Amino acid sequence: MESAVTLADMGFDVALVEKEASIGGKMILLSKVFPTLDCSSCISTPKMAAVANHPRITLFTYSNVKSVKRDAHGFRVRVVSRNSYVDPQKCTGCSQCETVCTVARPDQFNDGMIARRAIYIPFPQSVPKKAVIEKKGLSPCSQACPAGIRAHGIVSLARAGKFREAAKRHLEDSPFPAALSCLCYAPCENRCTKGKTKKGAPIPIKGVSSLMANGYYGSNDQVAIKTAPDAPEKRVAVMDAGPAGLSAAYHLALNGYEVTVFTKDSAPGGILAEGVPEAGLSRELVAREIDNVIGAGVIIDTDTSMTPEEAGRRGFAAALAPVPWNPDLVMDPVVKDGIVTYPELVDRPYLLAHAIGWGRRAAVMVQALVEKRNSEDALVLVPALKREKIPAKDPHYTVATKLSEENVQEAVSGCLDCGVCSECRQCVEVCPGGAIDLAMKPSTCEIDTDSVVLATGFRLFDPARKPLLGYSRYPNVITAMQMDRLLAPTRPYNALLRPSDGKIPGNIAFVLCTGSRDVNAGNPRCSRICCMYSIKQAQLIMGALPISEVTIYYIDIRAFGKGYDEFFQQAEGMGTHFVKGKVVRVEEVKDQNLRVHFEDMEGKGGLRQANHDLVVLSVGAISNPGIVKVLGDDRVEQDELSYIREVDGTVEPGRTSVDGIFVAGAASGPKDIPDSVVHAGAASAQAASYLIRTGALK
Amino acid sequence: MTEKKIGAFICRCGGNISDYVDVEQVRKEIAREDNVTVAGINMFSCSDASQEDMIANIRENGLDGIVIASCSPKLHLNTFRAMAERAGLNPYQYIQVNIREQCSWAHTHNKDAATRKAVSLVREGVAKAKLSEPLTPIELTAQPSVMVIGAGLAGMRAALALGEMGVTVYLVEAAPEPGGSIKGRKSLFPDNSSGHELVESLLERIRANGNIVLYTSAEILEKTGSVGNFTIRIQVDGKNETTLSVGAVIVSTGSGSYRPTDGEFGFGLSCVLTLNQYIDMLDSSTDTFLLNGRKIRNIAYIYCVGSRRTGKEGNRYCSRYCCSAAVHTAVRTHEVDPSIGQFHFYRDIRTYGAYEELYHEALKKGSVFLKYGLKDPPQVTEVSGSGLRIRAKDLLTGAETVELETDLVVLVTGMVPGENSQLIDILKLPVGKEGFFNEIHPKLRPVETVMDGIYIAGACQGPKTLSESVVSGMAAVAKSASLVLTGKVNLDPFVARVLTEKCTGCGECISSCPYGAISMKETPDGTVVEITESLCKGEGACVAICNEEALEIKGYGHNMIKAMIEALGG
Repeated sequence: MESAVTLADMGFDVALVEKEASIGGKMILLSKVFPTLDCSSCISTPKMAAVANHPRITLFTYSNVKSVKRDAHGFRVRVVSRNSYVDPQKCTGCSQCETVCTVARPDQFNDGMIARRAIYIPFPQSVPKKAVIEKKGLSPCSQACPAGIRAHGIVSLARAGKFREAAKRHLEDSPFPAALSCLCYAPCENRCTKGKTKKGAPIPIKGVSSLMANGYYGSNDQVAIKTAPDAPEKRVAVMDAGPAGLSAAYHLALNGYEVTVFTKDSAPGGILAEGVPEAGLSRELVAREIDNVIGAGVIIDTDTSMTPEEAGRRGFAAALAPVPWNPDLVMDPVVKDGIVTYPELVDRPYLLAHAIGWGRRAAVMVQALVEKRNSEDALVLVPALKREKIPAKDPHYTVATKLSEENVQEAVSGCLDCGVCSECRQCVEVCPGGAIDLAMKPSTCEIDTDSVVLATGFRLFDPARKPLLGYSRYPNVITAMQMDRLLAPTRPYNALLRPSDGKIPGNIAFVLCTGSRDVNAGNPRCSRICCMYSIKQAQLIMGALPISEVTIYYIDIRAFGKGYDEFFQQAEGMGTHFVKGKVVRVEEVKDQNLRVHFEDMEGKGGLRQANHDLVVLSVGAISNPGIVKVLGDDRVEQDELSYIREVDGTVEPGRTSVDGIFVAGAASGPKDIPDSVVHAGAASAQAASYLIRTGALK
Repeated sequence: MTEKKIGAFICRCGGNISDYVDVEQVRKEIAREDNVTVAGINMFSCSDASQEDMIANIRENGLDGIVIASCSPKLHLNTFRAMAERAGLNPYQYIQVNIREQCSWAHTHNKDAATRKAVSLVREGVAKAKLSEPLTPIELTAQPSVMVIGAGLAGMRAALALGEMGVTVYLVEAAPEPGGSIKGRKSLFPDNSSGHELVESLLERIRANGNIVLYTSAEILEKTGSVGNFTIRIQVDGKNETTLSVGAVIVSTGSGSYRPTDGEFGFGLSCVLTLNQYIDMLDSSTDTFLLNGRKIRNIAYIYCVGSRRTGKEGNRYCSRYCCSAAVHTAVRTHEVDPSIGQFHFYRDIRTYGAYEELYHEALKKGSVFLKYGLKDPPQVTEVSGSGLRIRAKDLLTGAETVELETDLVVLVTGMVPGENSQLIDILKLPVGKEGFFNEIHPKLRPVETVMDGIYIAGACQGPKTLSESVVSGMAAVAKSASLVLTGKVNLDPFVARVLTEKCTGCGECISSCPYGAISMKETPDGTVVEITESLCKGEGACVAICNEEALEIKGYGHNMIKAMIEALGG
């Protein structure tokens, strides 16, 4: 941010690319900052606002640089904006979507200590304050459904206790929730990742659907009937009152078509008309489901024969008809001469989902035909079916497990949320700005620049790599970043608690040099920041919990900056215990307390132990070299620890091995905030000087 | 004065406000206020759609003041100022009232009170809007030149960078030669580069660049003017005076070195040297390594001399560079003569970042490190005939007393502020309690001073290594370049104004102003004071001190503040 604002202030146009959904980096997540104990937000937010409002800065958040290629004029940078499924122009950051979202994920901005939603605004001070959806394709269960039902959405809604909403969500995709929950052979459960785990059983999606559908019909009176729209140019004849025909009619009617279903029979329903008692599907339930179709505005003409030719003569814009099942039949609707055909089910009620899927696909093809447009995009919703995926013979009805509302939530609580967003569409409905579009595509743009500044910062050492310290084994061993979150004004629990039992910790230990000054951890260097942030946290803890004891295990206290040693002396004065000693092992003892084994370097010497109820690992900084890969032929040199190397660390700060590419801040080596900011200023000066020398400044 | 037409817009913030504050009630009450022509409610005032609505409202109703009751101005003050400007309204006639952080979020437990408070705050905002006046930011042109004071490495590198940007630079050095503290050094940490070569290569580039004028043996005599247009008088070689016009000034005068008091760790004895004295010796010695004609067998280093003191003597701060400089010197010594024993009496080894590698190198080459505490510092005594004896408690071996005969004691002394009292006086530079120059904010504005247009770089700001000094020099380049390259300086219009009819010319305010922005002016009607707007920071010390209420800050006039207080109370 500092580089961008400084360069923009000098009169250069700047594109700032950030991979997260908000700018602010690690600093905005901190509680307070040393040595002044300024609130971190108070310092970061004006800078963030300055970036966002600067007329010369174009901000790309939630975006990745894919490539940087040198050309005759400078560099061509390809930026891919990740798909957020939210139109930032329309999103006002009101957070209503977050309150209805049914999928929880570990909140990366709280170091995983609490959950956020699949749709989320990164944190309260985000810039821009726009929601994004985390979505990794379709979940396997949703993808497996031949009818295009978003099974994951149903499950996540049920998990949230929203059974009515789940039924409504189902009805967006098919009018037959009850029939499917009885008849379907449930390929969704087959594909469920949970069922593929060692001890896991698949989520009982059929059972959930059954409860949902029965509950819905039980509590709902007759469906309100929508009158058929009067749309002569969108008049369609369906010569099939079976599931496929009704599904097609239903979807067409929902899309504003005037649909008439013709059948020779005296009642609609085809093979479902009489119910399927052996599968638990009663006639009454079928009637309710057919009411869904009628309710959508479909006219059903019973005891009537109709042919496509006759329909054409009567002025229907398109006609749908089934063709008898045969072994060579194409397993997908086929369009020919204004007529859409699809396989007839005959005696295969277990293929109900396929029939519904064919009906949906047929509806899309009819729409494309009538409205003379491409159907490809819409067809993606319900993928075509491969013949080999169709069960060769009747797989027998597996009657859905009977679940009550109470135990269904337990049953679905194990859902792994494979695709993250479940497409339950609760956010779409609640968004007052109509900003959410689950069909959105990621966008790519190419930026021509004269110079590139790399300000990609650092990563924190993963303490799981030091197994003896107990992180990831003992709940009360946390990282300093987690402690900073616990202390921040936007903290996760609104109190300083230890994770295992929510107890207020009374005796806290800090283990300095976790992953720093440690050849075995691959980082022989000092990380420069850990002593100071630990001392800061010690002071904040003593302010928040005055009776707590805080012990800092250190090798050397490196309080070297302006006002830092005074800050260290202040912490000593407040009563923080400083123990010179390398911690070798942390083990859990009674009540999930922890015993710290350390080499006592002062005092008596030798190996000693001390008990604490919370251990904070002051993790070091390591390089974050990912960006180097996208530089292609202009790959900048890196040092032994993969930080971006400055060619002349003494007189040419910020200059890399590649002309025109500069490095700012901790990307060239760990730095505290003041040093990073000053370094960013220097890198800007280098870039500006380069731009002027090469004649890029207009 | 014609009656103002004010528009007040209450924001729901999508429920963030309206869940706790009855916005319709607020709107009704505000609509009854005098001068309020329009009172509306927005779902999201910041959304494009709402902004367009408000713009249409401003234009159709000819509003000349608007109040938006929404979130903190930190978030959207600039958003709405820009909107006001698009609507053709002066941005300073837009008033933001915070009813989210201050009402709905703060009083979730009491909706009535939250609503009442919101009404009061919006009334206050309306009172302010009624008396608001159009203001324009103060725009000044800036001279396309910069003065760099101090031609050490940071100053030279900064001057070169500015010169390369096409900016005219006056590089002013008090000493007869440029190069500062490193020009004679043979081997600098961390990469053993030669100070002499560094200085020479930079000088060569400076000479080759046509934009840089170097003055040596030069002294700053006087500074007048303000940001963008400083006029600085200098004297060269104690005789020739020159007056230079510059847009900005970078001060990079470096630091001094701590001089131990007589007897401090044996200082004054012939074989007790400061680190700098020892490095001088190392730099000048050739293959033989002698002190007072005697071969050196053992060296003891005592760290933190004059630094990290808790008592009254010495400095409290850590000097940052000395640990790394000392271990680097030890490594050099090991390389010159591996047989020399080196003993380091330290408190904490602060070889931060990659300097850690130097520490490892020293350990590997045989340096011995002993930790001492402030309570029992090492005692250095002279032993007749055999050099020095050092006695200390080593905390790493259970505070055992260690005695060591040594030929040389090196006192690792830190940095102290340079002697700059005249410069401080002339430039009105802010000085911290340790005597180094102070930045405005170490994170937000680390090279800027409260004196607009005057930047600080290098060790004059506080102890820094060589590369860190250069980094801050370059950061100061970036800041000063944005000033002189754009050629324009925009200052907030919130500066003091003199109500001349009330001013008695007593001059009390002049001394209250820390920026020297107030001066006396003779007028036909008598003596009054006048404000130099480019120097005024609008902090209001003068307003408070004036008994006649003859001074006010624009945008915060006495009438306005009183009206706002009344509106709050009523």
